[in-house]
Amino acid sequence: MTQKPKYRSQMRIYVDIMRVIQREENHAKPTRILYGANLSYDRLVKHLDELKTLGVIGEIAEGDDRFYELTQKGIEFLNQFRAVERFAGAFGFVI
Amino acid sequence: MVGPLWFVGFDSLMELVAFVIAVAIAYQALRGYRLTKQRTLWYVHLGFAALSAGLLIDSLAGFLGIIARTLRGAVVVTLVGYEIYFLAQLVAYGLLIYAYVSHTRTLNTTPSTTVLASLLGFVALQATPAFPIRLVGPLVEYHPIPEIVLLLLVTYIAIQTGVNYSTTKDQDALFVFLAFLLLALSHLFFILQPFAALFFVVGHVLQLLGYVSLLTMLVRVTTTR
Repeated sequence: MTQKPKYRSQMRIYVDIMRVIQREENHAKPTRILYGANLSYDRLVKHLDELKTLGVIGEIAEGDDRFYELTQKGIEFLNQFRAVERFAGAFGFVI
Repeated sequence: MVGPLWFVGFDSLMELVAFVIAVAIAYQALRGYRLTKQRTLWYVHLGFAALSAGLLIDSLAGFLGIIARTLRGAVVVTLVGYEIYFLAQLVAYGLLIYAYVSHTRTLNTTPSTTVLASLLGFVALQATPAFPIRLVGPLVEYHPIPEIVLLLLVTYIAIQTGVNYSTTKDQDALFVFLAFLLLALSHLFFILQPFAALFFVVGHVLQLLGYVSLLTMLVRVTTTR
């Protein structure tokens, strides 16, 4: 019942990326996200671009380094998702 | 179905409370579906929407029965209300079972309970509440076959939610398991009501407690950060 699906949905990948950023105190390097969300570099770049377009994460350049942070919209989305995840999980459904 | 005379009206009131809770659950499932596009949440939404519609109609039919000027009128109104509620429950439990079956299929496992669900669905389609057995007096309408079908269906859901709780040991899952267990017990007491009118009361109390358990889960899920 609570077994994880074989493949992650796009939504799950987005949430995993955003959770890594949140875990890194809302200031995460791409390499940390890459390892934390278990993604290849190409896919990470693609998903980060999509998330930026959605307005849930922002990119900050500090010298040669790039950092990612959650926007207010992203934080609200994660809170909503957490409630939905718990609701679905209470019934035994994995999102 | 009608229990002791002193209980008339209370059953409708309890169903009205359960209706509000079912609407809240349906709404949360819809929010979840809109956010995640997860199909199982859509089925949960549809299931609880059907349940809430059935609860509202049966509750209103109960109140209409009370204010009906003739005994025959009261019996007809409550009977129609029950039949609609039965169909709503059939659809709702069917959708929830489908959600579990399809979710398990997504996880690439073959549940032994899938066969049971198909059989229950078949039995449910054969059952009709149109011919209730009249046991004692014109007011006591007894629907054993529909209630047995509903008991079997909701027992399947209770088992699924019980398995989920046993693997996760999560309190939210416990409340959902308790809810469906209480709903299953309520149907059992509705089946047994010819043996004692009080069983009808117990059935309604258990049904309400089941919905309160779902409400507890919902409040925990939506308020805890």
